[in-house]
Amino acid sequence: MSTFIPFVQFAPLVLLGAAAFALVRPGRRPGAYPAFAEAAALAALGLALASLIQLLVLGQRVTAVGAGPALLALRLDAVSATMTVLVGFVGWIVVRYARSYLDGEEQEGRFHGLMLATLAAVLLLVQSGSLVVLAASFVAVGAGLRRLLMFYGERAEARRAATKFALVWFGGDVLLVLAAALLWVGFGTADLGAIGAAAKGGLPLSAHIAVALLVVVAALKTASFPLHGWITEVMEAPTPVSALLHAGIINAGGFLMIRLAELVQASSGGMAALVMLGGLTALFGAVVMLTQSAAKTALAWSTVSQMGFMLLQCGLGLWPLALLHIVAHSLYKAHAFLAAGGAVEAVASIRRPGPVAVPGGLAVARSFALAIVLYLAVASLFGLVSGHKSAQALALGAILVFGVAYLVAQGLADAAPRELTRRTALASLGAAVAYFGFHLISGAIWGPYLPAVPTAGPLEWALIILALLSFGLVAVAQALFPLWAHHPAAAGLRVHLANGLYLNAVLDRLIGGFRAAKAH
Amino acid sequence: MLLNQPQVAPARYAALIKAAEAAARAIPPAFPLSATVAVNPFLGQTGEDFATAAARLARVAGVPLTRSRQDYAAKIASGEITVEDLSAALAASASALKPKDLAALKARLATPEAAPVALPTVAALAADATGTDWPALVERCFGLWAAGHFDRGQALWSPAPGRSAFSAWRDWAVHDLTPEIAGLKGFCAHVADAPDTPERAILRAADSLGIGEAAAETLFHRLLSDLGGWAQHARWLLWEAELGEATDTTITDLLAIRLIFEEALLAHVPAIAERWQQIVAAHAAPVAATPDQVADAILQDAADRAHQRRLAAQLTGMAGATARPAVQAAFCIDVRSEVYRRALESLSPEIATIGFAGFFGLPLAHRPHGTDEVAKHLPVLLKPAMFTCSHVSPEDEATSRIGARATRAWGRFRQAAVSSFAFVEASGPLYGAKLVKDALGFGEAPKQNPRPRIDGGLTAEAKAATGAAVLKAMSMTEGHARLVLLFGHGAKVTNNPHESAYHCGACGGQTGEVSARILADLLNDPETRAGLPAHGIILPEDTVFVAGLHETTTDTITLYRDMELGGHVADLVRAEAWLSEATRITRAERAKRLPRAHAETIAQRALDWAELRPEWGLAGCAAFIAAPRAVTATTDLGGRAFLHSYDWEADEGFATLELILTAPVVVASWISLQYYGSSVAPDMFGGGNKLIHNVVGGFGVVQGNGGVLRTGLPWQAVHDGESLAHEPLRLTVMIDAPQEAITAILDKHAGVRQLFDNGWLHLLRLENGKVAGRYRPGLAWEGATPLRSAA
Repeated sequence: MSTFIPFVQFAPLVLLGAAAFALVRPGRRPGAYPAFAEAAALAALGLALASLIQLLVLGQRVTAVGAGPALLALRLDAVSATMTVLVGFVGWIVVRYARSYLDGEEQEGRFHGLMLATLAAVLLLVQSGSLVVLAASFVAVGAGLRRLLMFYGERAEARRAATKFALVWFGGDVLLVLAAALLWVGFGTADLGAIGAAAKGGLPLSAHIAVALLVVVAALKTASFPLHGWITEVMEAPTPVSALLHAGIINAGGFLMIRLAELVQASSGGMAALVMLGGLTALFGAVVMLTQSAAKTALAWSTVSQMGFMLLQCGLGLWPLALLHIVAHSLYKAHAFLAAGGAVEAVASIRRPGPVAVPGGLAVARSFALAIVLYLAVASLFGLVSGHKSAQALALGAILVFGVAYLVAQGLADAAPRELTRRTALASLGAAVAYFGFHLISGAIWGPYLPAVPTAGPLEWALIILALLSFGLVAVAQALFPLWAHHPAAAGLRVHLANGLYLNAVLDRLIGGFRAAKAH
Repeated sequence: MLLNQPQVAPARYAALIKAAEAAARAIPPAFPLSATVAVNPFLGQTGEDFATAAARLARVAGVPLTRSRQDYAAKIASGEITVEDLSAALAASASALKPKDLAALKARLATPEAAPVALPTVAALAADATGTDWPALVERCFGLWAAGHFDRGQALWSPAPGRSAFSAWRDWAVHDLTPEIAGLKGFCAHVADAPDTPERAILRAADSLGIGEAAAETLFHRLLSDLGGWAQHARWLLWEAELGEATDTTITDLLAIRLIFEEALLAHVPAIAERWQQIVAAHAAPVAATPDQVADAILQDAADRAHQRRLAAQLTGMAGATARPAVQAAFCIDVRSEVYRRALESLSPEIATIGFAGFFGLPLAHRPHGTDEVAKHLPVLLKPAMFTCSHVSPEDEATSRIGARATRAWGRFRQAAVSSFAFVEASGPLYGAKLVKDALGFGEAPKQNPRPRIDGGLTAEAKAATGAAVLKAMSMTEGHARLVLLFGHGAKVTNNPHESAYHCGACGGQTGEVSARILADLLNDPETRAGLPAHGIILPEDTVFVAGLHETTTDTITLYRDMELGGHVADLVRAEAWLSEATRITRAERAKRLPRAHAETIAQRALDWAELRPEWGLAGCAAFIAAPRAVTATTDLGGRAFLHSYDWEADEGFATLELILTAPVVVASWISLQYYGSSVAPDMFGGGNKLIHNVVGGFGVVQGNGGVLRTGLPWQAVHDGESLAHEPLRLTVMIDAPQEAITAILDKHAGVRQLFDNGWLHLLRLENGKVAGRYRPGLAWEGATPLRSAA
């Protein structure tokens, strides 16, 4: 292994240095500080890109100081390079956005400082090479974000959201520290790479417990069912915070799983838990999202759902796809949040071309059949390039089919003109090709560095079938949606779903979220 | 008896229903953000004087109607408000409670005002008694339901359409377990047992809450105020229905819903019953201003007078008349035009400008290219009478709609369950490029809309009659230039839910493009021209009308070359050079007021998706002047005055004056009072903090997670972070016309008169370009001596 120092390791320092200026200029219109903050974020992105080149030219690198449980190590490899570039990019976009957005705020300078410091913590987190760095950076991210959520601390809603966030996040950190201790006990090393390598030879009991804890940590950090309530409430902070949270910080749980993929995959129970929890959260979040009339709230539910899907991919052992999902979702969601002011125009443009053509049962059946044909055609085309597909990958492809069928169905409605049918068919083809194309690319880029998909045993097959059935059921219900959604019998269901099945209200009750705010 | 008769005396029934109706009408309508216009937030209070309205709104909403005394004191200390202003305001107050002399007024000024506190609701009392935040719970539960009920297309799964708000809410609330989880046991059953019509629900609640007839009106008003923007949205539904000679009961439904919560909470916390009866008794007391409220109204009047004094000093008489101008340019009366008009006129004595309401008097309902949705392009007080469209050939129209439908299908693919996963993996990575494009502010190339036309056309007579009516209303009966430019206006902003608030208020929150283009077409039409002489208007043969759009964010002008220009090409080329020079001058002036702006960066701000203050809109508006341009031509009015061209000597029978006082003045009063309300009472009449806005249902915004709909102007639209960008003043209307003519029109229109009588607007009369008289309540006038001597 070569001995260079990855440039990206300095990125957190650059950001923290820039963040420190906020102590001098915490207030309104802090001179050149907003521009300087953007420059620092851009520099961090530049360092991440430079390290990507280092990785391509010089190879992987682990930088470490200290030893034993206190080992401090940072990694540069395919996973961390991807994450640093992603976080650096989103960070730059968000800090640049905040330059205009926060102008004139009473705590403008402080905001930029907190954003940069939080960004530094996330950049450190995704480079973690040892248990201490991992746990410490998780705590640092939470501390930064909690302060950002309290930016309008005079609002009772903001304080409630921050309290709820802190409870879940730092609760997760406690479990993470416990898991780290167990891993140290089990493997005698704090190096994440070494733990992964050791896990291939089977897990001691302590490691099994550690994996169970880590799965819970990932679920908490990704706002999984049933403790998802914190993320649907954090619109109390300025929009750039939401963008950073939904496009950067929320990935930490998924990153944790991917970083420790060898370890997690060695526990079939852990994998099964990920599939079930992830799949359930994915469907739950997606269905609740349908009922949300506030644009940012709908986006937050979409994040819950997408992160669930990502955990499902982890649980199926489709690690490169999970990483692809993190990248794709981050870019999409950052844009969606930052552009959320366009929702008025978006709804107006939905109304402009007149009523939506509603597909009937037959059209839906045809669309599913067509989507399967499309899937088989595109998949076999790509199969020629990429070779054999695992059962898990095929199952995931089938979930794509369900999605594309929905697009096809809209073009097959009786009232849809021919030209519309042609266009939606083209869009469906485009989606299928892009989907497989990105899968191919992700497999090529990250596949060699992540564990291969495990061979499906009876448990895996059962889970795959369960996933296919439930996703298929929801997809069919969705396609037939206009036929039943307004039926009185469905009205109660809609109420419960719009309330997120009350899980958040129950949590509020438990932690005093309904109490009158204390005067302060 | 087989059927239950309501156990209510008919008189009580009638009184309570009447109180509910009065409470509903006390709420101002809030237009959806897709086409929003400024509304006077005190619309329901214009029938009473300013101080009484302050007392009412303090009781029902806990908001002040004036600035803090500290602000007034600062203005007095700086000399902005003089002792003469204070004395004049004190003398003008008709209240028996006013301070007895200037010293007493100053003593009030020195004592900090007590922040008004609304009379508590049952929910608020219950919260004090139990420690559970019931008002927040009601806000949350009601807000979630209302967001879905009024949704215009944001959520894929909306409630069943066509239900009344009350029955839809009952269906919702019998299922919603949140109140019970929060501790309000039995709420679902309580709702299930509630009467099935809103009227009966209101009556039953009035009984169980012990609400007497006398207390009902402000108590109901209190509860509707508690629902904030939701009640205002419902009031808008009523407004629209009444414009179409129908009615709508949504707002009474909302009142019934809110009362059901109150009923349940009182039953849940019986310990507050006694305290609650005291509150009901307080509601039964007549609304009357306190000495403090009277004093505050006097201080605000002094601030208004200080502004009038400075304005009067600027108006020093008429500029000399000029020969036939080379170019006449007509702009909307919008205060933003004043800056541009001044810049344009400064370039050449051959340029003359005209101010007129931006819809140019054409009551249009328009269907844009690619849709059959009708948008109203006229002041919201009026009903459309002219139907237009910008549709192109049927084939192209179909193609563009199919394109839009395919885009929509893709959008549903993105939003729907299950397919959203495929969407993210298939197209998520492409958003990287979109992020860069939007972050760097690469706007899309502007597309010109197709030329609009009148559906079915007009007869030659109708063309001439319409053209003549508009020209007369614009005081453009003679002296037309070779080139007449007609400018509508609109804003260019990015990623801003309040975009339509920056558009033309006289065009119903749309841009003025369609109105200007339709009028230019009409006035260029040979059939119109042939018929005009019969209406007493002689247009020179060589006069050509060209429409354009003034983009107020960047002060650029787009011209629409909808017609053959022939020999006028050179005129237009010269005009374009002037226009671009005027753009440069205006940007420099505009940039001085905007934070972080330079003349060179103005254009980029419009494309910045994170810019919360792309322009100041009408912030600062303080005066409305209806007079020949010669009165104001040499004066820098700082972009704070609506300028309506008006020449009373050409106004037969004062029909145009009547039009001005009843339409543009009222629209301007709505705008100025909206800015006023959003500045002095942002919690009730302001749109909240843009940094945490969350667009709901495609028609409004909430703050943060949800809760109350926020209407009015966002804080960032009236405040630059350090101080108010809009100085809250009541609009000063200045009219250059004979006193008797103005008096006669006010006498005829009670609704307009009460705006002046009750202190919602000021009225000054101009003569020969100078202030010559001040209107006093009761159709009286006083000479302008105090104004002049003070100036």
